[in-house]
Amino acid sequence: MRVFEKYHPIVLFSYFAVIIFMTMFFMHPVYLAITLIGAMSLNLVLNGRDFFKSLKMYIPVFLLIMIINPLISHNGEMVLFYMNDNRITLEAILYGLAMATMLVSVMLWCSCYNSVMTSDKFLYLFSRVSPVFSLVLSITMRLIPRFTYQLKLIGQSQKTIGMDYTIGSLWHRIRCIMQILSILITWALENAIETADSMKARGYGLQKRTTFSLFVFEKRDGILLAVIFLLFVISGIGSLLGSTTFYFYPALTGISSTLKHLFFYSVYAMLIVIPVGIELVEGLKWRYLKSTM
Amino acid sequence: MPRNVTINLRMIISSIIFFIIMPLVIYLGVTVLEDRKYYFVSIVLVLLACVPFFLRFERRRPQPREILTIAVMAAISVAGRCLFVVTPAIKPVTAITAITGISLGAEAGFITGATTALVSNFFFGQGPWTPFQMFTWGMIGFIAGLLGKTGIMQRKILLALFGVFAGLFFSFGMDIWGAISTAGMFSKEAFIAAIASALPFTIIYAVSNVIFLLLLAKPIGEKLERLKQKYGILQ
Repeated sequence: MRVFEKYHPIVLFSYFAVIIFMTMFFMHPVYLAITLIGAMSLNLVLNGRDFFKSLKMYIPVFLLIMIINPLISHNGEMVLFYMNDNRITLEAILYGLAMATMLVSVMLWCSCYNSVMTSDKFLYLFSRVSPVFSLVLSITMRLIPRFTYQLKLIGQSQKTIGMDYTIGSLWHRIRCIMQILSILITWALENAIETADSMKARGYGLQKRTTFSLFVFEKRDGILLAVIFLLFVISGIGSLLGSTTFYFYPALTGISSTLKHLFFYSVYAMLIVIPVGIELVEGLKWRYLKSTM
Repeated sequence: MPRNVTINLRMIISSIIFFIIMPLVIYLGVTVLEDRKYYFVSIVLVLLACVPFFLRFERRRPQPREILTIAVMAAISVAGRCLFVVTPAIKPVTAITAITGISLGAEAGFITGATTALVSNFFFGQGPWTPFQMFTWGMIGFIAGLLGKTGIMQRKILLALFGVFAGLFFSFGMDIWGAISTAGMFSKEAFIAAIASALPFTIIYAVSNVIFLLLLAKPIGEKLERLKQKYGILQ
């Protein structure tokens, strides 16, 4: 499956930017529930079983934030009980719950972002905004596997002259590692100058840099980008009209369920559900095609 | 003449960001957002604060030798972060960034720190913490570069003091500010609670920074000095 990640990087990046922005912004219970469910289902679709493993990390964070808020904040009208002469209020507990939902949702969205927006896509996007810095980034990315390979070589050749970092006393090991690192840095810097001279010889900086990429902006990318933008604008208008207004302090405001608000909730839900929807629809199509073959 | 023009343009854009856009963001955060979205406002502010540095780096059109040297230092510090992944809070990143700043100048220090944060998060996962890390590590490199220019960083005691300072700075930027802005609570109690709970990490940061700086400053510094003299870069 995995169709969503085949879209153009600019579509993917705008989608996650919009979603993470709105998740941070809309502290309304309905919106928070929608974004948490959306983030969890996309994670499930993208990461499969690994998602359940990562829950081990998210649940403690969630609980921690949820508990800390009522202990520190004593605002609110509905006092549940007193702890060391401090009021523990219902509002503070619910605000902690909302905070925890928001933060865990942002983390979950970021984890989706990480599996969809690989570094090549990021570099492709930012080579236009900041060409020199993204060149630094891509060279750095390239150097890391090269360094690990070179480290192995240096380590092995050091072994042959009695500088084995895997045996001996702690002091000996530290000395060996420092020696290996020192050799690596000298080699890396000298090598860097050679690469730089080679770049210069090939005309770096004379003209605008061209970059090779396999990303083509197709019609479907344009359509999806337009849909994302439209739903984002409608949600923004909804927020201005008060659909996302919710106060925890001093007393909770009610959740309105007028037709107007229900419309804005569903617009937000539509925006959240886009990637999962795409994956499901494509999956069904594939099933259907297979069954008619 | 063209050099003056670019410097002026840079100054103008930086001043617009620092004196108009950033106060505007804070003002909007207080009024329109009703002083509630601290987390969002701090991320925007941190990103804006990074812009002038990148702008300056872009506009100066650095030579390939300079780009490669910075990339090498960033890659070494990313590799260091990966190497020490099992030990929480003990990372050589701060030390390597600071050494780069001292030897190659404030700007190279900033770019090295920011690159390290961004690239290492490609391995460890990007998140709302990325801009904070980019800015704090970048600033540590930048401040080290400014201090390095005066030559006082050659003295071991001052270098160790800088390690302690960088540990406190990083702890404030990442743990304390992060915790408070996420929870959205700005009270004396919350500050004390955050500082107290971050204290063990702050101490580990500071101590490991001092150790790494003292261990690495001389060997790496000498190599960078040699490179500068041999090839005449970043003078």
